Amino acid sequence: MSVTDTPPAPPPTAASVPADAVRLGHWLTLPAQILILFIAVFPILMQLYISLTDWSPLSGRPWPRAWELWNGFANYADLMSDRRLWSAVGRTALVMIVCVPVQFFLGLGLAMLFVDDFRGKRLFYSILIMPMMVVPAVAGYMFFMLFQSGGPINDIFGTLIGRPVVIAWLSDPTLALVAVMIADIWQWTPLMFLILLAGLVGVPDDQMKAATLLGANAWQRFRTIALPRMKTIIIIALAIRVIENFKIFDTLYIMTSGGPGVATETISVYIYKVTTQDLIWGYVAAIALVILIVLSVVAVLAMRRMAR
Amino acid sequence: MSAIRLEHLVKRFGSFTALKEMDLTIGDGEFLALLGPSGCGKSTTMNMIAGMEAPSEGRILFGDRDMVGVPMGRRGVGFVFQNYAIFTHMTVRRNLDYGLRMTGRPAVEVRQRAEAMAALLNLTPLLERPAAGLSVNILQRIAIGRSAVMEPAIFLLDEPLSNVDAAFRAVMRTELKALQRQFGQTMVYVTHDQLEAMTMADRIAVMDHGVLQQVGTPLEVYNAPANTFVARFIGSPGMNLLPGRLAETDRGLAVDLGELGISPPLPDALAAAAHGAGRPEVTYGFRPEEVHLVETGPALRLPLILAERIGARTILHLGRAEDAVRAVFQGNPVLPEGVLAIAPDPASLRLFDAVTGAAIRGG
Repeated sequence: MSVTDTPPAPPPTAASVPADAVRLGHWLTLPAQILILFIAVFPILMQLYISLTDWSPLSGRPWPRAWELWNGFANYADLMSDRRLWSAVGRTALVMIVCVPVQFFLGLGLAMLFVDDFRGKRLFYSILIMPMMVVPAVAGYMFFMLFQSGGPINDIFGTLIGRPVVIAWLSDPTLALVAVMIADIWQWTPLMFLILLAGLVGVPDDQMKAATLLGANAWQRFRTIALPRMKTIIIIALAIRVIENFKIFDTLYIMTSGGPGVATETISVYIYKVTTQDLIWGYVAAIALVILIVLSVVAVLAMRRMAR
Repeated sequence: MSAIRLEHLVKRFGSFTALKEMDLTIGDGEFLALLGPSGCGKSTTMNMIAGMEAPSEGRILFGDRDMVGVPMGRRGVGFVFQNYAIFTHMTVRRNLDYGLRMTGRPAVEVRQRAEAMAALLNLTPLLERPAAGLSVNILQRIAIGRSAVMEPAIFLLDEPLSNVDAAFRAVMRTELKALQRQFGQTMVYVTHDQLEAMTMADRIAVMDHGVLQQVGTPLEVYNAPANTFVARFIGSPGMNLLPGRLAETDRGLAVDLGELGISPPLPDALAAAAHGAGRPEVTYGFRPEEVHLVETGPALRLPLILAERIGARTILHLGRAEDAVRAVFQGNPVLPEGVLAIAPDPASLRLFDAVTGAAIRGG
């Protein structure tokens, strides 16, 4: 450490590297850049193209000739008035609004318990993060069985209150949604826990001690020292779960297939059904594109707001 | 009221004993340095005083209050961490008034006391600056001010200068000592740097291997080390210590230093004490600064290995292995070639028991 507070030497910038070396670098990374461009941009362009047509795999034409079925913005006009789509969007948002905060607070609470050492910490830690490693389809099947009317969950409730309980979890529109949320919380709280624990452990110990010596209680220490230092990691954790939750599909589809009726139909489930059952791919492409744009805008706005 | 008393303090970590039976009283308003090499138990002692660690045995009293079991937030001690532990995500003001805000003082008082502290420490122009990126001496002042604003009766400082480069340390030492005079609190200062301890402390407690070796003023510790550890640890370079045997010569009792020859006769008081100690094997000690070259007469004869000339002083490395002796001369003396004959200043001679290492004190 020097006497004055000189900042450490800045990393080499583009300006400090010779121009021909920069050019060589560009050439060397070009194949990878093209590949990424192809993977990311090509499907979107293809999707945009198809979304402007009435093309379907049953139309008897390969997709490049979809222009023969050009219908302009008709698909976009249709989706604006598609009630089933917008209720799926609303339902997805509801799942997200319930699940992400629950996962966050559960994960944070657990992480706070795991900052200090206690007997059996490693064992509990392993048990806690296990749900995350279960294949979502398997988790879905697990919860499908647990929530049967004659299943273990009803049995446990029955034992607790002393008389048989028959709750039709998966065939009641409201309870089915609750069951789906429970499964999601079970599976993804561990991720929150892991990320937030990393954040908590990263809070300098002597700062917490200094705060204690200055008379701050546990809650004050958390609020004034730990929380501000964890801000970035919290934003990342929330962003990951919000985005993932918007795409909720596998566990849910195996548990309820979006049913009963459309009671648990989320965006992904709806798109899946339209794709595989109705086979109107031009329309599907339009929906997917709109969702992508809406989600990107929401994500960027939310992260900007939280970063402040 | 704010005197600290440590009684039979013991700290064990599993089977390792970090601190063995520490008894120490630190006076009200005193600046005491806990000095020792790393792993000597000084930080453990400090952490127990602060309440970060619980003693395995013994008592800690502030005045008459037994502190064992009192949580660290309620002990009323100010603590300055090695790296200052400044809340870098806050402004200087928020650092200074942190304790006041957390303990729920009225807003007016928080403001007044933080600003008074800032004025005292010359931090007023920096109050609204973020604490991140300020220079070390300012961070040190914030760390002290942040604790001092709570008006603790006791201040603990854990090697606050060890992250600072050598040139700047002198400045910081002066500043720290001035601050202590200003606040007048009891201060315990942990350091492994004897220069810091010697220049700032009222008394020094020298520790090694979890045992308190000696407590005394800087000059006591320097002039009358209680044992060979303190003799070697204090001073730069430390005291020369040579194995020898007491020997009668026709000019009085002296020490036979084997190949180095017979020492000049011991001063009467020391000779009497050495007689009384009843063991012929002794360790013969003298400060490197307190020797002179001699032409004739009894002297230690040692080959010159290396002469370090550092301008104001010249450090001579003489002899080898356990007979190694260092001598420090002012300026740049002209040195003879080969073997040098040196004699320690009789007043600076110290004898230690060869087995226990304890000082044999004359007079």
